[in-house]
Amino acid sequence: MRKLAIIGAVIVVVLAVAVYRAKLGAEETQGEIDLLTAEASAIGKDIAVMKAEEAYLTRPERIAPIARQQLGLEQAQPDQYTASEALSRRLGEERLTLPAPAPAEDASPTSAPLKSNEVKPQQ
Amino acid sequence: MMSFDRPQEDVWGPRRARIVAGVLAVVFTVIVGRSAYVAFNGPEQAASGMRSAAVAATRRADIVDRKGELLATTVPGWSLAANPSAIWDAGEVASGLKSVLPKLDLIGLTAQLSDRKRQFVWVQRGLTQEEKDAVFGLGVEGLQFVEEARRVYPRGRLAGHFLGYTNIDGDGLEGSELAFDAQLKQGGEPLKLTLDASVQFVVEEELEKAYADFDMKGGVGIVVDTHSGAVRAVASWPAIDPNRRGDFSADMRSNRALNSRFELGSIYKPLTVAAAMDAGVLTPQDRFDVSAPVKIGAALVKDPHPLPNAKSVSAADILAHSSNIGTALIAQRMGVERQQDFLRSVHLLGGQSHVGPQTASPLTPEVWDATAMATVSYGHGISVSPLAFAMTYTAFGNGGNYVSPVFVEPVDAAQVDKSQVMSADTANTVLGMLREVVTRGSGKNADAQGYEVAGKTGTAEKPGPDGYDPNKNITSFAAVFPASRPQFVVLVVLDEAQPRTGDQRTASFTAATIAGKVIARAAPLLDLRPVLTASTVEAASLRVSEATTP
Repeated sequence: MRKLAIIGAVIVVVLAVAVYRAKLGAEETQGEIDLLTAEASAIGKDIAVMKAEEAYLTRPERIAPIARQQLGLEQAQPDQYTASEALSRRLGEERLTLPAPAPAEDASPTSAPLKSNEVKPQQ
Repeated sequence: MMSFDRPQEDVWGPRRARIVAGVLAVVFTVIVGRSAYVAFNGPEQAASGMRSAAVAATRRADIVDRKGELLATTVPGWSLAANPSAIWDAGEVASGLKSVLPKLDLIGLTAQLSDRKRQFVWVQRGLTQEEKDAVFGLGVEGLQFVEEARRVYPRGRLAGHFLGYTNIDGDGLEGSELAFDAQLKQGGEPLKLTLDASVQFVVEEELEKAYADFDMKGGVGIVVDTHSGAVRAVASWPAIDPNRRGDFSADMRSNRALNSRFELGSIYKPLTVAAAMDAGVLTPQDRFDVSAPVKIGAALVKDPHPLPNAKSVSAADILAHSSNIGTALIAQRMGVERQQDFLRSVHLLGGQSHVGPQTASPLTPEVWDATAMATVSYGHGISVSPLAFAMTYTAFGNGGNYVSPVFVEPVDAAQVDKSQVMSADTANTVLGMLREVVTRGSGKNADAQGYEVAGKTGTAEKPGPDGYDPNKNITSFAAVFPASRPQFVVLVVLDEAQPRTGDQRTASFTAATIAGKVIARAAPLLDLRPVLTASTVEAASLRVSEATTP
C-alpha cells in the first residue's frame, strides 16, 4: 500500500511539472502567434496601402497623357484591324518590301529564274 | 448478576473506508488522466479562447472591377481624441487644433475640452496623413491618435456614384457600399463588380467632354451586355469623388443613372413598334399616312418635322425619321391593354428586382386612356430610370429576351434572369430598323465606324409646373451594337443639353454624337473587333503598304 502511495505521489509530481511546462510552452507559443499575427496584420495594412497607391497611380486620366505624349500611343482605329482572310494579302504586300534571303554559299550563280512574285536580291 | 452488553460491532466502518478510498481513487485517476492528456496534447481549449480574443475586427472587403482593378479598399487611418482631464488650457489647445484642422467648431471643442471630468472626447475622425503630421507638430498635451480603418476610393471619381461610400464607422451609406454592405462587412475576398474600369472611364470622360460642347444640367451613360445583363459601365454626370463626398451638393451626389426618372421621349418608339408587330397588328410592309396631325383621345399628335413621302410611310420610316404621328397610329392599332402588357413585361411599369443598387420606381399615367396610350407610345407621360430603360433594349440584341441587370461577377450564363418578351423575328426586324435609323435617319452622328450601331434618338421636352417646356429637353440615344452580331446596349441621356455654339439641341446632335464616341472607344476595350467590310480591308491593306513602302 505504501509503495502504491509513493508511486502515486511521484506520478502526481511528474505530471504537475509536465503540466506547468505545457502551460509555459502554450503561453510562449501564444506570444509568438500574437507577434506573427500583429506582423501579418501590419504587412496586410502595408499591402493595402500599396495597392491603393498603385490603383491611384494607374488611373486612366494619369496614364493616358503619359502614353500619348511619351510613348506616342493612340487608340487603335477600326481600319487597323484586319480579318484573317485579309492576312495573306497583307503578308504578300509586306513580302514585296522585304529583302530576299541571301543565296546559299554553294548556290550556283546561274540558278533558276525568279518567279513572278519573287524579288531579286539586293546586291 | 451483572451483565455486560456486548458492544455493537460497527460493520459499516471498513466499508465506509473502502468507499471513500474508492472515490478518492477515482478522483485521483481522473486528475492524473486529465493532467496526462494536457501534458501530452496541450491546452488546446484554453489556447483557442485566447486566440479568439486576439482576433482583430474584420476588415471590410475591397471592391474591384471585372478585371480585378481596385475600386475601393480599406487602409489604416487615424482619428484624433483628447483627454480633457489632462488639458490645462482648453482654449489654447482648441485654437491650436483649429489652426491645422480648419473644419473644427472652435466654441464647441473648447467647451468639450474644458470639461475636466471627462477623460475621452473625439476631436476629429478620419484624419489624413498630412493632418496627423500637422497635429503632431503642435506638440499639445492631452491628445492621442487612435488608429481606425479608413475606406478609400483610389480611382477618385471613377464610378463614384455607383460605388457609393461608407460612414466613418464603415457602414455603407450609398451605392454598392450600401447594397452589398452585409457581404462587404464579412471581409474576405473582394467584391468583383461587372463594371469594366476602362469602359467606365471612357463613358465618364465622354460625358465630361460633352459638357465642353453643351451647357447641360446632367448626363448619364450606360453600357450593358445584351446577353448576360452584365453592366459594364454606369456613369452619372456630374461625377463625384467618394473620398470627398462632403464637397458635393445633394443634387450632384444623386445617381442619375439609377435614382432619377426621366421622360425619355422617342427612344420608346422601337418598343411600340416591337409590341405591335409581336401582337400581330403591324407588319414591316404596312403603310401609314403621317402627313397631318392626328387626334387620339385628347391629344393632338404632331411631328416637329414633316417626313419625306409622308402620305405613305413604313414602320422603318417612322423610326428613321422619328414620327410621333406614325407611332401613335401604331399604338392605336395595338390598344391600351396590349401596350400596358408589353411595357409591364419589360419592367417599365415596375416590378423589376435584381441584386445590387436598385433603380427608382417608374412614374406612369394615373389614367391610362387613349390619350396616355398615344403619348406613352413615343415616350411622353412615363418616367423611368435610365438603367431600367437601357435593359429593355437587351431584347433587340439577343433574340427577344428581356435580361435583368447584373452587377456582380461571375456572371453565369445558365443563371441569367431573362424572359422572352418578343419573338426573335420581331427583335431582329426592329434591330434592322434601328440600324436604318443610324444609316439614313436621325442617328447618323452615332455611326461609329466598324461597329454597326443600331439605335434610336429621343428628344423630350421637360415637364415643369406650367406644362412641358419647349426650351428644356431631355435628349437620349439608345443603341445596340454591332447590328450583325449584337453584344452591347448603350444608352446616353443628357439633361438640358444646350449647344454652346449653334442652336441644334436635338438628340441627333447631342446624345447621338456622344453615344457614337463612347462606342468607338469602348468597343475595343470590350474585346469587340470592328465589322470589316471590303472598304476597311482595303484601308488596312493600304495602311500596311504605305507604312512599308520606302
